[in-house]
Amino acid sequence: MIWRLLLLVVALAVCTHVVSTARPQFYPDDPIAREPESQDASKAQPHSIGTLYEMANNLFVTSGYTPTGRRAQDINTIDEVPDSSWFTNRVGSTTVSLDDLARGPNRGAPPDPSRWTLTREKTSGAHPGFTAKDAKGETWFLEFDPPYFPEGATGAVVVATKFFWALGYNQVESFLTTFDPDRVDFDPNATLRRPSGARTPFTRDDVDAILERVARRPDGTYRVIAGRLIPGRILGGFLYAGTRPDDPNDIVPHEHRRSLRALRVFGAWTNLTDLKAANTLDTLVMENGRTVVRHILQDVGSTFGMSNDRYEWDLSWEHFYQADATRRRLFSFGFALSPWQTVKYVEYPSIGKFEGDVFDPRTWRPQTPTTAYMELRDDDAFWAARRVAAFTDDMIRTAVHAGEYSDPAAEKYLGDVLIKRRNKIASIYLTAVNPIVSPRLEASGRLTVDNAAFATGVASGPARYHAAWFRFDNATGDTQSIGETESTTATIEAPSALPTAADSFVAVDISVDHEGHPAWRRPVRTHFRRTADGWTLVGLTRLP
Amino acid sequence: MTATVFAMRVVTAVALVFVPLASQVFAAQLATRAEPGTPTTVQQPEPTTREGAIEQAQAVKAAEQHPYEPGKMEALADRAEDALVNGVPRLHPFFSSAYYGGGFTLGAGYAHFVTPFSMIDVRGSYTIRGYKRVEAEFTSPRLFKRRGALSVVGGWREATQAAFYGVGMNTSLDNRTNFDFRQPYGSATLTLWPTRKLLMLRGGLELSRWSQHSGKGGDPPVDAVYTPATLPGLGTKTTYVHAQGTVGFDWRTSPGYSRRGGFYGVTVHDYADPDDRFGFRQLDYEVVQHFPILREAWVISLRAEAETTYTKGDQQIPFFLMPYIGSGHTLRAFTSHRFRDTNRILFQGEWRISVNRFIDTALFYDAGKVTADRTDLDFNDLKSDFGFGVRFHGPFSTPFRVEVAKGSEGARLIVATTPVF
Repeated sequence: MIWRLLLLVVALAVCTHVVSTARPQFYPDDPIAREPESQDASKAQPHSIGTLYEMANNLFVTSGYTPTGRRAQDINTIDEVPDSSWFTNRVGSTTVSLDDLARGPNRGAPPDPSRWTLTREKTSGAHPGFTAKDAKGETWFLEFDPPYFPEGATGAVVVATKFFWALGYNQVESFLTTFDPDRVDFDPNATLRRPSGARTPFTRDDVDAILERVARRPDGTYRVIAGRLIPGRILGGFLYAGTRPDDPNDIVPHEHRRSLRALRVFGAWTNLTDLKAANTLDTLVMENGRTVVRHILQDVGSTFGMSNDRYEWDLSWEHFYQADATRRRLFSFGFALSPWQTVKYVEYPSIGKFEGDVFDPRTWRPQTPTTAYMELRDDDAFWAARRVAAFTDDMIRTAVHAGEYSDPAAEKYLGDVLIKRRNKIASIYLTAVNPIVSPRLEASGRLTVDNAAFATGVASGPARYHAAWFRFDNATGDTQSIGETESTTATIEAPSALPTAADSFVAVDISVDHEGHPAWRRPVRTHFRRTADGWTLVGLTRLP
Repeated sequence: MTATVFAMRVVTAVALVFVPLASQVFAAQLATRAEPGTPTTVQQPEPTTREGAIEQAQAVKAAEQHPYEPGKMEALADRAEDALVNGVPRLHPFFSSAYYGGGFTLGAGYAHFVTPFSMIDVRGSYTIRGYKRVEAEFTSPRLFKRRGALSVVGGWREATQAAFYGVGMNTSLDNRTNFDFRQPYGSATLTLWPTRKLLMLRGGLELSRWSQHSGKGGDPPVDAVYTPATLPGLGTKTTYVHAQGTVGFDWRTSPGYSRRGGFYGVTVHDYADPDDRFGFRQLDYEVVQHFPILREAWVISLRAEAETTYTKGDQQIPFFLMPYIGSGHTLRAFTSHRFRDTNRILFQGEWRISVNRFIDTALFYDAGKVTADRTDLDFNDLKSDFGFGVRFHGPFSTPFRVEVAKGSEGARLIVATTPVF
């Protein structure tokens, strides 16, 4: 035992020496609230990411990717994701009112659908549509519902847009509106690409060809979702791995962005199955006098039960190709059933195949895996689950109501399923790791934490909170034990030897003894800096 | 304690302590947002803020930024995708042979659009047994407000060693003879979907001339075994005006690949011989039905087909136009055109198993016969086979299938670029 302790001290000395020759662990501005973008990105060039290569690569290469286990790199020192051109803290971080949620990303006025002038074919998305100018001359991307999902595709876009905006992602302003085929003009320069490769004028027959394949209202008009033209110079989609080589501010590999890893959880919640680069968009915009790249989740319409075909039974249960499932069905002649073959759906045409009873976020699968999807760690999932859990029932029903579903039962069902799935995500991911959050250390030496699992009601029962206290030298990284304290409540008294000098640091390892969750015994390491007003949290590491 | 044990403990302890701590150090370094491998900027002053550290890393990247350059595989895949999505078909492979039984086929075609939608495709193929096919097709797929499609074809083909085993079911593989035919042809086919879906009407007119010759290959030529008196059409040169009309109800997702829906159709043919020697009529009945099970993981696919012919007065039906069974689309364990007669009936059943989105496997059973008399088209004395197949498919097509079929005359391997039904 003595030898082990000695070795421990030696090893600690070696390692802290490594730190001492590097930068301090905490800078004066930690934790940062916004990721800076210091460089001009105006040299970034448009390029398109081939869907075929991306899909093949993700299905056959990424699916075999071994996660690095590396901690997310877009987080600040308190384990949170600062605001950036990728992500803005909203639900779970700030107050998002029901009105905020109902408005979502929409800032400008909705389109004036009294007359549409068609300018081009639709350039993205699976469902039929046009690019058109409204009566006020503003350009919009119109998308219709397929006949087997009336109100479904359009409803999914508008509802999911609210959710993903609240979750922090840049979203396209999207409005439900009307397309009246009797009030359509053709831009004189409007053309369509024909099978011959030639572009010829847009004709009424082209409109009819699309309208024949979409859901029509009884009055002869069509419900459409109108997406506002995204400002800035379009650069193309982003990948879920690596960085843009032409964006100097893009220095965190995308697979190590927690905001992108978390799409595995957010995607599972909303059933966002189509995570391909073509559904994302980078744009070059001016912000604070500097040209920067803004990253947008452009198309979140493959959510809830929406798909390109009403019979895509395996969607969200399997990737488009999975070696294990392929082998199982091949050698069993299909007798080895997969869960998607037996799950029961209450299927509303406007919702599709979406359920919450058998759903398990750990076995949920997008169409193709991404590297960021593979890199999700328990602390990333915990972070994401807190945001999902932050949606109250009212918030969920408010967002769903924005879908303007004509069948109240469908609207209720969608809300019910989202609530069920939210609860499952919370119960699984908020209990998988030590769930203490928001540690506060009063000047008097009283440490209070919140327990995210208890707060959301996914765990209960007696718990004992332990705190191991250390003096912490920010310059060298040296730690020196002060003592250990514990409590049966979430408030723990510090030992009397807590330093009092300004700019001194303490490290506190906080663990929780709970009968049902042994994983909570793994301590969360927190760091506090002494200021004139007391102690300020500067560091939190849920998992190293 | 031995030195070895001590050393092991040292290693273990260092590993136990160093690894987590080192990862903490590593994480701290990562928190600076430095790219892995980014050299620490010796020349630059140490940052004093987190923002400064990040900005330093961004400045390093700014000096190295460059446009995105796809790798070789990505560039190749992008070109393939561009050709698939945006490409205008011009030079293309063509695998249809002149006639069943020609063996491995290679061919190519060149397409040229004459209007934004309509094109002319000139193509040809050659098989390992010397079958030749050259033709040009004009297709206009968008007529009558997208309710109709027109195909006009003109060409010439030759099959040098087409099989003929005799008429009827009681023939032997040893009876095989070969015949050759050459046929210039021209046809026009108009397909209509009056309601855009479900109901399909098709009408066609073809003018062709069949010239039947002595066969090549290792088997006896047909004229060495038969005479014009014993085999109708032997050695004939016949001009046909072939009119046909089809009424069908089709609610499959696609004729090329479907897991649900069905097709029910009747086709009437009239083969008119201006010399009144070989004119006849033919009625084809076809039923295809797919029954999805377990959410389309399994599909029971059934097909029934009957072809009946009707002579015109004392005219005869030439042997080479008689209905047949035996081929990669009919009785799969039997060689092409194994059985011929004036009527045929065919039943096919498949248990298709969806392995994944791109591959199906299938266990299948085929049964059928040819008869001289329509009243004999029943379930008695059917020839049958069974087998297993693997199909590579997309949502609407089956570009490749490999099957092994076993019947009373042995086993056969089928490699095809079209679905069986």
